[in-house]
Amino acid sequence: MMRHFLKLTTAAIVLTSTPVFAQTDGTADDDIDWSLYEDLGFEDESMKRYANAKIEGLSPAKLISIGYDFQGSYSIAPGDLTMADGTTVEGGDAMQVNSTAGIRAGFNLPVISQNNLVWQMGANYWNTSYNYAEAPTSSDNPLHQTLSEHGLRTSGISTTIYKPLDDTQFILFQGSADMSGTYGASAMPAQYLKYSAAALWGKRPTEKKQWGVGLARTYRVGELNYIPVILYNKTSANNKWGTEALFPARVHVRRTINPRNMVFLGYELEGQSFRMYENLPGFDLRDEDLEIRRGEIRVRAVYEFSLKNFIWMSVQAGYRINYRYDVDRLVSGPDIYRAFGLLDSPNYAQMNMLTNPFYVNISVNLVSP
Amino acid sequence: MLRKLTFLAVSAVIAFGTLSFDLQQKSEDPGDRLVGIWEPSNGRSRIKIDRIGNKYYGRVVWLIEPNDPDGTPRTDINNPNPDLRNVPLRGFRMCKDFVYQGDDQWSEGTLYDPNNGSTYQGTITMRDMNTLDMRGYIGVEAIGRTDVWKRLKMPSRKKK
Repeated sequence: MMRHFLKLTTAAIVLTSTPVFAQTDGTADDDIDWSLYEDLGFEDESMKRYANAKIEGLSPAKLISIGYDFQGSYSIAPGDLTMADGTTVEGGDAMQVNSTAGIRAGFNLPVISQNNLVWQMGANYWNTSYNYAEAPTSSDNPLHQTLSEHGLRTSGISTTIYKPLDDTQFILFQGSADMSGTYGASAMPAQYLKYSAAALWGKRPTEKKQWGVGLARTYRVGELNYIPVILYNKTSANNKWGTEALFPARVHVRRTINPRNMVFLGYELEGQSFRMYENLPGFDLRDEDLEIRRGEIRVRAVYEFSLKNFIWMSVQAGYRINYRYDVDRLVSGPDIYRAFGLLDSPNYAQMNMLTNPFYVNISVNLVSP
Repeated sequence: MLRKLTFLAVSAVIAFGTLSFDLQQKSEDPGDRLVGIWEPSNGRSRIKIDRIGNKYYGRVVWLIEPNDPDGTPRTDINNPNPDLRNVPLRGFRMCKDFVYQGDDQWSEGTLYDPNNGSTYQGTITMRDMNTLDMRGYIGVEAIGRTDVWKRLKMPSRKKK
């Protein structure tokens, strides 16, 4: 009888105690009434839900990136250069550039990451060296010798602020200050900084779509412009396809092989205004009043994949199409705003022609969790 | 005699069950303030955090989209381990092994993101009784992302 009693007691204790420890990894427990968790309000009823900054399926954000950019062979045909006194230096012959290459590094780290505010700060450094087939001499156009000797560099800082207004609407602000030019070890004066910014209002109607409209101050086509921008990110129902676009700066169609392997097809506009800042005697193009307005379109395919955990590699290959490589003389202010030729404005001091090469870009990235 | 013993045993069992339930619900262990139902910032899921032993675990109890377009329950299709890709997401334990460190902080645990199949080291900081900072990071805490989770009301038990 006592045995029977002990058995009964043990069985009862085991049966009643088990639910406390019943959860197991990944096991959908049929005994759980999942509907209990459907209609739950916040404990603190003053709390709100906010639109998330990301959508499902979006490619991971790059926190730290180190890469190398390489453009193949092309030619530069310089136009006539108008000097400060109004005289003209003849453009001269086109010269062959075997390659244009350089390091591209950057980071972008979150400062504040909350439901109702995301703030990130970043910095970047891009170097471009021009490797001529034959070293330019003083008899060639000064543009060639300047590029060959000094190359071009861009370094800058940036900030991104994402502010959701409610569970669907948001405001996005991006701003940057860049120093671009022929400068070497000694940085250029801060007066030559170029400021870019974009502000958008948008909606995130579903977990797989967000869009926005706004205005940007940009140097992406080489010179200052104010243009409307459209944000459009979308992921298909089966997560295999998507669009990542900030038109007109970049537009890509995404094919997600799996969340660690993605292929993109699209283009990006790249550009900046490069100050010819050199305190050395010599070529007129080193005049501090001159800036190269470089703008290019990169039509490309990109493959991004996880090497290990959060270390990703990005390999892109495509065709670099020159949009502008002209020189402005800035004598009455830091910029000339032409509004794509709609406004009456000074002519370029030099207009140059570039042929278009293929290019590759490889980078290793630490991506965001 | 057997009746008496059975009655005593059943009474003891009920008392034990009630006591253990009360311990779970009203523990004075400060780490147990983490126990409850929480909603991540994207509002796509709800996570129930329980204490098992001296560690805390979070399990997916609700998904905004519980089923795939074909009507079958969503599974962990992005899991790096192919053998686990058929495991249902609802019920999945995505927070593991968190240990209370004092000062409203839990650490030594991991966070799993079913959206990409990645597992992060994690720390949890309770900002107030109804708000958690869930930080997933890679190696060092500086390289990571914080998601803010909000406490939800406990469900009514009347349904089941």
